[in-house]
Amino acid sequence: MSRLSRWFDPGPLPAQSESRGRDSGLTVLGCLGAAALLWLIEAQGGGYVVHMTTLAGLFAVLAISYNLINGVTGQFSLEPNAFVACGAYVTALLTLSPAEKEMTFILEPLVWPFAVISLSLPVALVIAGLVTTLMAFVMGFPVFRVRGDYLAIVTLGFGEVIRVVANNAQSVTNGPLGLKGIPHLTNIWWAWGLAAVTLFVVMRLVNSSYGRALKAIREDEAAAEAMGINAFWHKMLAFTVSAFFEGVAGGLLGHLITTISPSLFTFFLTFNLLIIIVVGGLGSTTGAVLAAVLFTFGGEWLRVVEEPISFLGLDIPGIPGMRMVVFSLILMAFMIFARQGILGKHEFSWRWLLGLVRRRGGRA
Amino acid sequence: MTPSDLLRVDGLTCRFGGLLAVDSLSFVLGQGQLMGLIGPNGAGKTTVFNLLAGAVRPTGGRVFYREHEITGKKAHRINRLGLARTFQNIRLFGELSALDNVLVGFHGHLQANFLSAILRLPGYVAAERQMLSRSAELLDLVGLGELKDERAGNLAYGQQRLLEIARALATRPSLLLLDEPAAGMNPQETAQLAVLVRRLRDELGLTILLIEHDMHFVMNLCETLVVLDHGKVIARGEPAAVRCDPGVIEAYLGVEVDLDACEAPGA
Repeated sequence: MSRLSRWFDPGPLPAQSESRGRDSGLTVLGCLGAAALLWLIEAQGGGYVVHMTTLAGLFAVLAISYNLINGVTGQFSLEPNAFVACGAYVTALLTLSPAEKEMTFILEPLVWPFAVISLSLPVALVIAGLVTTLMAFVMGFPVFRVRGDYLAIVTLGFGEVIRVVANNAQSVTNGPLGLKGIPHLTNIWWAWGLAAVTLFVVMRLVNSSYGRALKAIREDEAAAEAMGINAFWHKMLAFTVSAFFEGVAGGLLGHLITTISPSLFTFFLTFNLLIIIVVGGLGSTTGAVLAAVLFTFGGEWLRVVEEPISFLGLDIPGIPGMRMVVFSLILMAFMIFARQGILGKHEFSWRWLLGLVRRRGGRA
Repeated sequence: MTPSDLLRVDGLTCRFGGLLAVDSLSFVLGQGQLMGLIGPNGAGKTTVFNLLAGAVRPTGGRVFYREHEITGKKAHRINRLGLARTFQNIRLFGELSALDNVLVGFHGHLQANFLSAILRLPGYVAAERQMLSRSAELLDLVGLGELKDERAGNLAYGQQRLLEIARALATRPSLLLLDEPAAGMNPQETAQLAVLVRRLRDELGLTILLIEHDMHFVMNLCETLVVLDHGKVIARGEPAAVRCDPGVIEAYLGVEVDLDACEAPGA
């Protein structure tokens, strides 16, 4: 037998790369550092900063999962508001006490299983995640029959359908009145804990053989099919994984703001997420986290421009809404000068950071 | 269909609206054969590949691969049965590295499911390392070992063609369809490609069907030729015979030529 035919038999395994041990060590250190920072924020930051940090964590979860289907797999879809709504409603219906529900559902009583049960938050979150996954699974069959612009339109439609259902299914969602009095159970640790889990799972998935297949589908679906990849099931995989985390994040969102109604889950939620993943760099998971944090806090920092400013002896009165104008200008600048987003398709890596530190050190 | 036949095409027809792209094409490809599919531009050669590989559904006729009927089957299923292809208009995964392109080819054979991939269970880790070393070997085989971390889209044209072959080989085919593998290559690269293709057949036992416009390449490499024009077979047989076929000459040149010229070797 020749040398070439070895490729069909199992051969000796190659050695693992040397830098892996160092990188895992740095990752653990990084996690501890982030935890210390969160602890500091919780202890010193005051209610408002803690609330914003928690919200940033949830947006990070949503951005990571949305990026998995939109950026990594390249399937331009516009449905995350539906998944977040589904997760939020299911979790809230499961955790609210029966007495609270009876008070809330004044127009039409709540249907049977939800009316009597009251579960703890972790159990409710897992159920919400699974229900959302199931929804994505069922939705995936018609949705992935189309591609590109058509996919965007069909998924956008689904997002609207869920909102309309939430508005009209009085006996389950309490209609436009929404659900009130949801216990404030989401804290900074829930949000960033889920963000860490999502980041871990999605990064592992993206950096596996499955992740390569997803990227191959993004690059050229027909070629990927010709290489033996079942594009439909791989899209479904990305879609359901992203739906699971969006559902759980939706559940936590409900328990952070304590009141949910259909108007919360309009297309604008999806639109914000789309901005986040484009600014972070479509296809970059770590970029999505970075952009989610910047987006959440950026909106607050920009409040400065709405306050009265005295500039060169000129008194400019505060203009309400100025924030959004500046925000749009920043976005436009981004799309003109940095169309690839903050990280492009790259990921944050320790090697890159160490290289940067070394180069800076060398210059100093 | 005798046991040694790998592919049997029976009256394959494909119609795009009013255009009959492939008109009841029939041929048999035996195990280990090296066959060329030639013809003037627009003869329907690439359409034949698209039909065989499942990218386009035929209007009529049947295709058998080993004992399976693959007519109208999905592309990924046909690939998994052992039929791999390259593309005429190079269709690599441009943003991915050369190595990742080849690794994608191995993905279809991965036994481990996505959960064990996320959890990095031993079964997945072993498979991943296996795939990595095989992919590096395949890149060495086509002569791109040094360029494995290069972005596929940044490779030179000829290198991209070679990477397409490596990627197709990663799917572990028995039958390889090469669509103009030598297009855009310089004479030296073409000569190396001919050596490679012959090695794939001789050493790996692959059966190869290729489309090519470089007549020197085809005549020297292929054992049998099928000549298409306007979707119809106009000649088939050994290269020497096909070369002198009046119908073929007419299809290519459009004029009658002095057939005596063919008797001179190397014409």
